[in-house]
Amino acid sequence: MKTKGCLIITGALLIFMGLLTLAERSFAEGTTPASPASQGFPSFEVLNPEGVVQIEPTVKLNGHPSSLEGKTIMLRWNGKHNGDRFLNRIGELLVKEVKGVKIIKSWEVAPETVEPITGSQERSMELMKKLAAYKPDLVIGSQAD
Amino acid sequence: MGIPTVTITTTEFDGLAKDTAMSEGVPDAPFVVVPHPMGMISEAEITKKADSAFAEIVKTATEWKSSAKLPEMKPAYPAERMTLKDEPNSFFFAKGWSIGLPIVPPTPDRVKEMLKGTSLAPDYVIGKVPPRMGALTIELAAAHAVMAGCKPEYMPVLIAAARAMLDPRANWRGATTTTGTTSLLVIVNGPIVRQIGLASSQGAAGAEHHANAAIGYALNLIADIVGGSKPPSPDKSTLGSPGDFVPWIFGENEDRLPEGWEPFHVKRGFKKTDSVVTVMAIYPPVENIDHWSVTPEEHLTWWGHLATPLVSIGGPCWISQMDQIHLVGIGPEHAKLVADAGWTAEQYGKAFWEKARLPFSVWPKGCPNVDLLSKKLGPLNPDTPVPITFSPDHIQTLIAGGAGKHSHYFAPFPSCFPVSVKVEK
Repeated sequence: MKTKGCLIITGALLIFMGLLTLAERSFAEGTTPASPASQGFPSFEVLNPEGVVQIEPTVKLNGHPSSLEGKTIMLRWNGKHNGDRFLNRIGELLVKEVKGVKIIKSWEVAPETVEPITGSQERSMELMKKLAAYKPDLVIGSQAD
Repeated sequence: MGIPTVTITTTEFDGLAKDTAMSEGVPDAPFVVVPHPMGMISEAEITKKADSAFAEIVKTATEWKSSAKLPEMKPAYPAERMTLKDEPNSFFFAKGWSIGLPIVPPTPDRVKEMLKGTSLAPDYVIGKVPPRMGALTIELAAAHAVMAGCKPEYMPVLIAAARAMLDPRANWRGATTTTGTTSLLVIVNGPIVRQIGLASSQGAAGAEHHANAAIGYALNLIADIVGGSKPPSPDKSTLGSPGDFVPWIFGENEDRLPEGWEPFHVKRGFKKTDSVVTVMAIYPPVENIDHWSVTPEEHLTWWGHLATPLVSIGGPCWISQMDQIHLVGIGPEHAKLVADAGWTAEQYGKAFWEKARLPFSVWPKGCPNVDLLSKKLGPLNPDTPVPITFSPDHIQTLIAGGAGKHSHYFAPFPSCFPVSVKVEK
């Protein structure tokens, strides 16, 4: 009985090692071992957990001016590093290149609007209303990082 | 407001900027993309970037035309059913429907069983999960609860937490797309803690607690799959954290509240018998290890010093943080130390606020809100102590954890406020 038991164990080990070798070979060849589907994996129904995207239109964007000449341009900085320097340079170039352009810098006229993360549309709208009070024709904003 | 705009973003954040505009309902917002980075480079380098982008900015300012459209709206309920013919974990991960941990397949029968944990109708829409704006129905929440291994009785807590997370005050959009290392903090109070076996004592926020782990996992599945917040974009977290798998979730240890101290939810306006979930997006907590103090003064002096790394996220860099609520989870033994000396929770909060300060000189010179800070604190010199918040009332406390000499400071992500929602069965 003892010998028979040993033979069974040895046989099982050999089969297991054989399977391992097959699996290693198929991985080495860039393929996976026989997929569960092909081994008769039972098919069943599941729910798609993604859910549908539902986005409401918030605002319709206005058309842009065909020229910047004579326009008032607000430069809006959110406080992220170097955004003000970038916008300063854009302001300099606009004054140099575009006739009659007027530049307003948000961080100079309304420093309380320098806020990198407003957290909500409501808070963003509060800040934007403060800037809109200066009646710019266009706003150029810097997001960074 | 009728004012045209041009927004400058960088190559690293182009995708996030456009996704955000789309999910805010403005799919065609005009952007100009410049090479990353803009921050932490010299003035000469940033000037060069502005020079290179100037022509494109003018072109966008004068020639932009609306073109993009919003995706077609489809009904949120019922969720799509599909026949799975392959091994579920590989399939779900390949589809982007799991976050790398194993899931339980959300079969209709399992979801139906999970729905027994709530009286809310399966078609009820809890909210839209940013940044993707996936509509989260009760049915879909139940599907995620199944995937995470929840029991039906966990559903009311999961639903309350999802509601809180989707409240605009929680600023989940910002917290889940930031470059920062943020995660959700979920604090549960009231009878529900015991009823569902949510851990609230030793190691409560760690492993081996089924309710905490399963509810937390389900919440992050919802955030990542329904909300679509995955790295490298729109989840822009520089490193990320294990908090992206399971958030910080635990019950307040109400059994160890010192005499006369109120539970966290009662301080936030609820009845003691109410079950309440409070959610806030946080940075990695700071731990107070204090085995040595024998007086509250000693303890708070040490604690204030330990907490200062997170004081620096406010100040002139993120001044809005100084008007936010910051939370301190006091370890029961630390609470006992101060309460035995006759202190109230409010005194503790005030002392913490007084001690947790940094000199103004530590902040980088490029911080944007120096003038605003000066208006609040008076003239600033290098030694001016800058507090963690503008008022001690912004420090709120709770009892967190079990035996041991450890407390934790949870600093909020900018513009995130704690949101408390009553648990309804």
